[in-house]
Amino acid sequence: MNEVRIGHSEAAALAIICIGAKAFLGFPRFLAKMGATAGWMIILLAGIFSMVIWFGLSFLLQRYPGKSLTQITNHVVGKNLGLVFNGVILIYIIVATSIHLRLFSEAVVITALPQAPISALALLFLISVWIATHLGLEALSRSAAIAFPYLLIGVLAVLIALYPFWDFKNLLPFLGEGVTAVVTNGFFNITSFGEIFILAYLASFFSFSARRLRNVGLFSLGFVTLAFLFIVIVYLMVFPMPVATETLAPFYQLSRQIFLGRYFQRVEAVFVLFWTFTAFFYLSAGIIVSAVIIKEAVEIPYHRPLIPVLSIFIYCLALTPGDIVEIININRLLIVYGWAIIFAIPCLVWVLAMIKGKRGGPVDAQQQEEK
Amino acid sequence: MSKQDNEYKRDKDNKKDNSKTATFFQDIKNLLSNNLLFQGEKQQEGFILTGSGQQEEDSKGEERKTEQKKEPSKKPVRVQRTLPKEDSKLHQEEGGLGSLLVDFQLKINKKYVEEIYSLPKNKDIVLREFMINFNPPIHAFAVFVDGLSDNSIINEFVLRPLMFFHKNKEIGIPDLAGFIKDNILPGNQVDVVENYKDIVEKINYGGTVVFIDGSPKALAVETKGWDRRSIGKPEAEQVIRGPHEAFNETLRSNTALIRKAVRNENLITEMFKIGKRNKTDAAIMYLEDLANPTLVQEVTRRIKSINTDYIGDTGVLEQFIEDHPFMIAPQILGTERPDRVASFLVEGKIAIIVDGTPNVLIVPTTFFSLLHSAEDYYLRMPYGNLVRLLRFAAIFISILTPGMYIAVTTFHQEMIPTDLILAIAASRQTVPFPTILEVFLMEFAFELIREAGVRIPGVIGNTLGIVGALILGQAAVQAGIVSPILIIVVAITGLASFAIPNYSMSFAFRGTRFIFTILAAIFGFFGISAGFYIFLSSLASMKSFGVPFLAPMGPKTRSEPDLFYRGPVWEMEERPDYLNTLDRRRQPKVSRKWTEDKGEENNE
Repeated sequence: MNEVRIGHSEAAALAIICIGAKAFLGFPRFLAKMGATAGWMIILLAGIFSMVIWFGLSFLLQRYPGKSLTQITNHVVGKNLGLVFNGVILIYIIVATSIHLRLFSEAVVITALPQAPISALALLFLISVWIATHLGLEALSRSAAIAFPYLLIGVLAVLIALYPFWDFKNLLPFLGEGVTAVVTNGFFNITSFGEIFILAYLASFFSFSARRLRNVGLFSLGFVTLAFLFIVIVYLMVFPMPVATETLAPFYQLSRQIFLGRYFQRVEAVFVLFWTFTAFFYLSAGIIVSAVIIKEAVEIPYHRPLIPVLSIFIYCLALTPGDIVEIININRLLIVYGWAIIFAIPCLVWVLAMIKGKRGGPVDAQQQEEK
Repeated sequence: MSKQDNEYKRDKDNKKDNSKTATFFQDIKNLLSNNLLFQGEKQQEGFILTGSGQQEEDSKGEERKTEQKKEPSKKPVRVQRTLPKEDSKLHQEEGGLGSLLVDFQLKINKKYVEEIYSLPKNKDIVLREFMINFNPPIHAFAVFVDGLSDNSIINEFVLRPLMFFHKNKEIGIPDLAGFIKDNILPGNQVDVVENYKDIVEKINYGGTVVFIDGSPKALAVETKGWDRRSIGKPEAEQVIRGPHEAFNETLRSNTALIRKAVRNENLITEMFKIGKRNKTDAAIMYLEDLANPTLVQEVTRRIKSINTDYIGDTGVLEQFIEDHPFMIAPQILGTERPDRVASFLVEGKIAIIVDGTPNVLIVPTTFFSLLHSAEDYYLRMPYGNLVRLLRFAAIFISILTPGMYIAVTTFHQEMIPTDLILAIAASRQTVPFPTILEVFLMEFAFELIREAGVRIPGVIGNTLGIVGALILGQAAVQAGIVSPILIIVVAITGLASFAIPNYSMSFAFRGTRFIFTILAAIFGFFGISAGFYIFLSSLASMKSFGVPFLAPMGPKTRSEPDLFYRGPVWEMEERPDYLNTLDRRRQPKVSRKWTEDKGEENNE
């Protein structure tokens, strides 16, 4: 058992911020491309799909109360195969984190510091994230819970301040690219909610029951779905269809549009404060979850010494792609096919656990003996 | 001449020759050294401290020998009365006097006292010999420190009764000291003591100890009476509404001030002695029926475990017991207001008082209690909230303003309305420095004025602030070194940093401001965001005596409306959850009974 105990509000805040962070990158544009004016339906469907999957997987977590998905995988499929399963997940998280590190750094270049070298920006991201992760998961989750309401206020302020530009006619035609496109893309987009598995991989740190963890996950997914819906709908309402597929940083473009009198305009720079904050949380969570997965997969006592190594590795990986276009393409691949790793592997473990009829009982008994 | 004689002569000549050569070389050496080297007397300072002489020169073995040699002169000739070995072991660790007991013979005791206090060299110690007026009269002497003890108390309540009362009383009492304590000395605190360790402690803290011939016990009379500062007004935590009392440098006055504010029999004062050489008195105060026993235990454990020479102030003690010495924010609150301490005590926290310092420490401390002021609660709710709102704005201003200014003028000019940016540009036209240098120049000047204002004596100190701020600022602008807008920025930042009620916390914010300024100069708003993230994470990772520093916000625990917003006093029904107090409830759900009574009356 870990000494660190995280409460349910902290867990939910961390999950929501990590899933929601992509709203500040090209995600709304990506949805607009996939579903045109029905982009918001895609996200609604994807949210519902991921909630269903999470609901199902939560039974797996409930079978092993107090155990993380890494430990459960190890227990269900054995240590050797478990290492492979967990290794694949780890690689996915590392790649996703480095892609996002690069994307966030690119976004800073686009929105705030056009002349800054990308490596310097990524380095500042990394140093901050390194310090925060070094201070621990408890500190990270607590600061997420503290920052969450203010970040939410920031996002809502942008969306509501755009009210004069809302044009409902821009949402027509209602079904966009058509029902098939909406449903298929809706399913593929569940990867966008893949960060919910942070909760599953950190389950051994939570101070609440597995049943409550299910509810925390459902709440986070529901909340983020609503937030995404609001952002995408406003985005589609403010930018008419062809334009909506062309913006490089949609949320930044939204905040640039704000014009509430002569003295409250061009405030996009202030929103840099908000969205970079979510980026810090996303990257920190990525690094700390990777470290925790390694710790639990190979059963070493601490995860903290892994943080510098992972940070530097992620930094190097993030700077490997040549330019922003390349990284956006890689990200698209990740969103479209990522579910095959982040959702499919836990589902596979779940199915195997059901077939083998394994439960958390023996493990718990063993744990109590150890105590 | 025989052969032997010849050999002898040759040897002698050889030796002579050898010695001649040796003297010749010696002469040359002397000649050279006399002519080539400076031979005057070495000039020395009047006094050079070269260690404690004998002790340093002596090797360890010799040290032991000299100790043995010295012993007869250091210790009295007579066999010493000491405690049994098991007891004395304990005492020996604490100092050399641990096991020494009072002797039956007065002259032996006198010798002990003279040795302990190096009399008659040590002029602070008074040893007054007199006769107790029994039949037959008994020799006695009193020892006290001149200046620490009250002379009139000694005259009236120690010497006078002993010398004049109970005239010609027949003695044959077995416990003479006990008899005198019970019948003759009228002082309110008289103890019978027999251990020199206790005796020396009493004398060193203003007591008077009376030794009586033929008694193996002495009498320690409470005669403290040194000159002390009276209860004054708080210097750093002034309020308009609320009490104007502040702690002073005397431990007992401070505990009394707290006890006066919290009139409760469950208020416990535990005393400690900290420091090997000085043995500073320290006390912890808490309400036994409220404070979490494990917290009390932890505070006691930390204080007792300190092994140092001298602790002269709560500021030093704070550094010995805090959880995160390298973090920027303080984790222990220091206050000079008894009312504030009282309010924390009834919340279930613990106060630490050290003799000789007017600041009392409160543990555990959270971020929010460092930002609250006593007056927040004394004012009516709307005003209290207004003040708090202002203060929280001040925090952000004091941390972020210079950074924001630099970020906006250097990287995010599009944020500024055109007219304003033109004004800023015009004002900066004559300034030859980049904004960051300009800001650092002015911030440095401001901090310098502040620091100098604190150090310079009273009258000049006050004027210096005005002279420094007004004239320096004006001159700097006119000379074209800084822009007028920057003066406003620095002035507002400085003002805001003074609005933070806790002295340590305002230091923390001032330090953080420089980091934010540098980050903003390199990365604009992104740098500020990064700085803020690290700042928040570091605060969230801290603990003060086991309580998370950002509680009850991170982690979220149940709390009364008393963080940013201050709810009505009658709504604060429970004590903070994070303290795990023995009694959670502060007041019932309905604390204003009259509101209910009225309703009932109407119903009737």
